[in-house]
Amino acid sequence: MKVVVDFDLCEANAKCMAACPEIFYLDDEDNLHLKQETFDETLRAKVEAAVRLCPRQAISIVK
Amino acid sequence: MPALEEIDLCNPDYFNEGVPHHWFRALREQDPVHWQEEADGAGFWAITKYEDVKAISRQPRLFSSWQGCTNIFELNEEELAGSRLLMLNMDPPQHAKFRRLVSAGFTPKRIAAMEPHLRELARRTVDRIAERGECEFVADVASRIPMETICEMLGVPESDRQHIYDVSNKLIGFDDPEFQTSMDDGRVASTELFMYASQLGEEKKRCPHDDLATILINAEVDGEKLSEIEFQSFFLLLSIAGNETTRTVTAQGMRLLSAHPALKHRVVQDLSLLPRAIEEILRYNPAVIHFRRTLTEDVELRGKRIRKGQKVVLWYPSANRDEEIYAEPDRFDIDRWPNEHLAFGVGEHYCLGASLARLQLNTIFSELFRRLPDIEVDGPVRYLRSNFIDGIKEMHVRFTPESRQRRPSA
Repeated sequence: MKVVVDFDLCEANAKCMAACPEIFYLDDEDNLHLKQETFDETLRAKVEAAVRLCPRQAISIVK
Repeated sequence: MPALEEIDLCNPDYFNEGVPHHWFRALREQDPVHWQEEADGAGFWAITKYEDVKAISRQPRLFSSWQGCTNIFELNEEELAGSRLLMLNMDPPQHAKFRRLVSAGFTPKRIAAMEPHLRELARRTVDRIAERGECEFVADVASRIPMETICEMLGVPESDRQHIYDVSNKLIGFDDPEFQTSMDDGRVASTELFMYASQLGEEKKRCPHDDLATILINAEVDGEKLSEIEFQSFFLLLSIAGNETTRTVTAQGMRLLSAHPALKHRVVQDLSLLPRAIEEILRYNPAVIHFRRTLTEDVELRGKRIRKGQKVVLWYPSANRDEEIYAEPDRFDIDRWPNEHLAFGVGEHYCLGASLARLQLNTIFSELFRRLPDIEVDGPVRYLRSNFIDGIKEMHVRFTPESRQRRPSA
């Protein structure tokens, strides 16, 4: 499974980093980085939480 | 259960004593995508379930904010043209271009840097009332910090802030005769704000500062500077959005905590409970009651056929009490967690000021409860007559003056 972020929507609310720090990282300039784009079943619940919690709904999962 | 035919979400009289939750409960249960007739309009689909409000908010191209703008009532072509200059009433990709001009100033990190200053504003606000033993909470407390903060961020000098506050009240209180009697008063008020914005813009051109008005007067979209009316509209949106909403939630929070003395006592004893209490206040009484969208294509939702050009209205207080999301949704529970309410909306138009609002609420309640721990509502609450903003117009509070409180001995 792969994480896709709409960077035009992202406004650095950092909810994803709290939900899944294994993948989402916000730098000091408020830019979001993906530590890895693909993930397996072990991170699925955390990534789904990030998708749900993003106030801008900027994150999606592609299978 | 009320009969569905009785329900009239268009009439602000039914919102005069608070949001009619018994209607929303019936709609969620019996007809979550409900056709609401209008006396002076084409009617609309009332959306009352959490997941539906969220799903519609995620699809701004299908559910347009631009086409008919975001208020229930219909606008003529000239009014539409004016309203569409507000970021609130834009769709992607245009919306993102305008929003990006100011969004960097509102990220959680940038807002967190304002905390010492907001604490100082809160301290001064409480200083002014601390020895009085009573005050009118809306004017003396709830309105102060939002007005000072947004005016400061915009770059409005202190001497002009009361004027901006008074005028923005008239604009949003269009259904309440106490603030204005007709839509014409609203037009006069917006003209006043526009004139003020132009003067301020000229001033910022001559004398740039580190504020939003300076950013906007110099900003470009698609390689072009904002026109005068675009600049004015931006100023108007930020001054209204930053004033009325936080004031409303501050007053509602004071009312709710007063009405639940045991919960308030716990918060006063342990201010680390405040963040969750604030989320519950936002869930229980969100400031914005509804926004409207207009369909750009035919869709089907919960078996109802919604046609292109029809309007749907998203009812946030109803979404926030959806039984499918919340156990005992009508219970005010400051321990509720997780609490993923929709008080700030979600998606493309998610409230730009959400982090700022949360910090403002935290600073004012911290300062109040630390210094005036027995503060409570005293007397009847007067609500705004509106099905758009769940506002409180007047609410008296009383407390032991600060100097007469028994301090814990050292």
